[in-house]
Amino acid sequence: MPAPLLAIEHLRVDFPEVVAVNDLSLTVEAGDVCGLIGPNGAGKTTTMRAVSGLQERTRGSVRVGGHELASEPEELKKRLGFMPDFCPVYDQLTAAEFLDHFARAHDVPDRTKRIGECLELTWLTEKRDALCEELSRGMKQRLVLAKTLLPDPQVLLLDEPASGLDPLGRIELRKLLLKLRDVGKSVLISSHILTELSGFCNKAAIMERGKLVMSGTIAELGQKMGRRRLSVKWRHAGEKALQILKGAGVKNLETAAQGATFEFDGDAEALDGLLKTLVLEGVRVTEWRGSGDDLEQIFLQSGARELM
Amino acid sequence: MNITENPVFLTQKRLVHRAGVLAAILIAALIGLSLLCGLIAYFADPRDFNFSGPQEAGKMFYAWVIGVETLVLVIGGFSRILKVLTDERKAGLWDSNRLTPLPPSQIVAGYWFGAPLREFYMGAILAAIGLVIVVLARLPLALWPGTQILIFSTALFFGLLAVLIGLVAQRPQGGAAFAALAFVFLPMFSFIMPKFMLTNFLLPVYAIANFFNAGQPPETASVQDWSGLPEIFGLPVPPILLSLGLQFVIGIFLWRAAVRKTANAFHPPLLRWEAVAMFGILLFAQHGLIWGLWHGQFPAPSGSESNANDVPMLPIVHAGTILLATILLAFVSPDPERIRIEALRAGDGNLRRVFSRSAVSLALALLAVAAVALFTQCAASISTNWKIYAVATGNLLDFFLVSVLLLEFCRLRFRRRALGFVALWLFVLCVLPFILAGVFSELAVGRLSLLSPGVLALADHDILNDPTSSELNYLLLTVLAHFGIVVLLFVAWRNQWQRLLAKVILAPPQK
Repeated sequence: MPAPLLAIEHLRVDFPEVVAVNDLSLTVEAGDVCGLIGPNGAGKTTTMRAVSGLQERTRGSVRVGGHELASEPEELKKRLGFMPDFCPVYDQLTAAEFLDHFARAHDVPDRTKRIGECLELTWLTEKRDALCEELSRGMKQRLVLAKTLLPDPQVLLLDEPASGLDPLGRIELRKLLLKLRDVGKSVLISSHILTELSGFCNKAAIMERGKLVMSGTIAELGQKMGRRRLSVKWRHAGEKALQILKGAGVKNLETAAQGATFEFDGDAEALDGLLKTLVLEGVRVTEWRGSGDDLEQIFLQSGARELM
Repeated sequence: MNITENPVFLTQKRLVHRAGVLAAILIAALIGLSLLCGLIAYFADPRDFNFSGPQEAGKMFYAWVIGVETLVLVIGGFSRILKVLTDERKAGLWDSNRLTPLPPSQIVAGYWFGAPLREFYMGAILAAIGLVIVVLARLPLALWPGTQILIFSTALFFGLLAVLIGLVAQRPQGGAAFAALAFVFLPMFSFIMPKFMLTNFLLPVYAIANFFNAGQPPETASVQDWSGLPEIFGLPVPPILLSLGLQFVIGIFLWRAAVRKTANAFHPPLLRWEAVAMFGILLFAQHGLIWGLWHGQFPAPSGSESNANDVPMLPIVHAGTILLATILLAFVSPDPERIRIEALRAGDGNLRRVFSRSAVSLALALLAVAAVALFTQCAASISTNWKIYAVATGNLLDFFLVSVLLLEFCRLRFRRRALGFVALWLFVLCVLPFILAGVFSELAVGRLSLLSPGVLALADHDILNDPTSSELNYLLLTVLAHFGIVVLLFVAWRNQWQRLLAKVILAPPQK
């Protein structure tokens, strides 16, 4: 098994009155998009700043592409791109000049071409010669994302990247992240807006009060939660369907006109069996949807509180 | 990497040019040309002016040019760098640059040379006009390169200082306060025996004045004071070399500190040995400058300086020593949070860690340096004047320890409000006794000030004329009483640390 691109082990960060991150261990492999989820103050931003070296660690190690932050910070900087949750830009530079600054700093070959590519990736080509101060917050956010992508880092740390984006921007960001995932980048992305992360995260790590509550692939987390929330819709034999569901020991059953939602404790095999029974007993099932793989559901069931 | 390829420099250059440089250059040109026109007008009709000859007129107009140039380059450049750095740190751009693979030295150099470009352009225009004035007035040719080298080196020196302050100051006001201290408060003392004050060489006032007075007959006292070679422990040194040498050596320490702070923002900017070395260099240079007043036989003036005790040079140096040490101790004193984190890493609450990291041990090292430096003034007369030496040294010990213990105690106890409480207690210990002495017309109360014993022992004519004076015994007792404050502070300081480290023991390290 190849070494993970990003490996955090026993990370601890102390603030004067609080342990901001406490014994956090997490790995992100190539091609993973890992959502770092948690309420405000959970320690997501502190974790990202500690991984990038901007926040002092009390203990723990951070490795990027096999290079340790403490002993090889320069190697780590070449492989890591960090996008903070605010937009640090030079207001009096144009978007292209801003990117040129960082392209030079990273010694990016063929700067002009790469700057053009990154502007295109972040849908800012038309704003190439606009001053940063003239850009909207969302555009600045995208420009900082373009700056982060410039040196083509192996690992991307994105702290609340969609917070300033409009709905279209969020859709485009999702597409971009999926593209990055496909080319084998590791992405650790934080947000407290769970719907933002749904759809492109294949992994999630849930934090609360500095601690990692749980982490793994979305499917693994769904299974760990055990009880899943499901919804079923049918066309005929509603009474029979309800009888079968009650007989299978579902909980919190809520009926609707032609369907029901319920919680189910059983594993995937038991769930398959339940659906099979319904069909064999003549219930015409038109929709069968499990919400156990939904990030919001996982978060709510994880025990992490104080959501948003 | 060449500075012209340095991305930080290039970006600063872009920002300066975008904000506009033409108006600034025109202002500098207008000021310079006005002065040049003044000289030309003098040549056209000297009767309208009150100069003794073309050389004096030329010197006057050139002095104005370099005055404006100094204002623009040194004070303007200092303020510009400080503002750019504090703004960029606040905006997160400093961190963005630190996250690039650029070496920290490149980042520092980029801001150092790039941020004050507008001021450099203005300085260059004024320097060019100054050259024309020097040539037209047929002034000694050494005047122009000599003064220009000094002005530009001072601009670079204070620019580097601004970079460092910009990196450590929490707020721009902190930097502005330091600037006020450097450019307003310190030069106030420069005019007391100018050849003997170190501040005249760090800000190269003496070296520049020396260039102007070169070849002048030393008829007036003012020319006498501002001409001739200063001596370091009796060794004559050209003032330009002394100024450039001091700025270069201290500049190396500032450069190392700025680069270190850029590479790792969590470490104190100065290492302990660097603080001791800087303190030693400055202090021995100062004591070297005044050594000729007593030739090691303080308070007996040396033959050529019979009026050495008319001006309280040694008390001024004593107060300067206290000020310098307090600034260095504040710079090096670690944030208690850092020591707590180190204790957390090690998983113990051992007080020895505090002693090895705290600036208390550094205060003792600085005291040793200061004591040796002071000893050079009275080495030959120590057997009769040991009490004066003991009072002055004891006073330094008390002040250094009080300032460092107070600072660390207040940081532990009051956190963000610490500086306010440090100022309050220093006011109570140093200034309040003088106010009370004035209010109640009781001079003895003023002697209780933490500043008093050393200054009085080195300045009071009764004491200097009679080293067995009972007044000295009283001052020795005051020093001992002040040490009682040190002991009390030490106990409070130790308790605060124990309280903090007790929490560390409760939180053992996790594997």
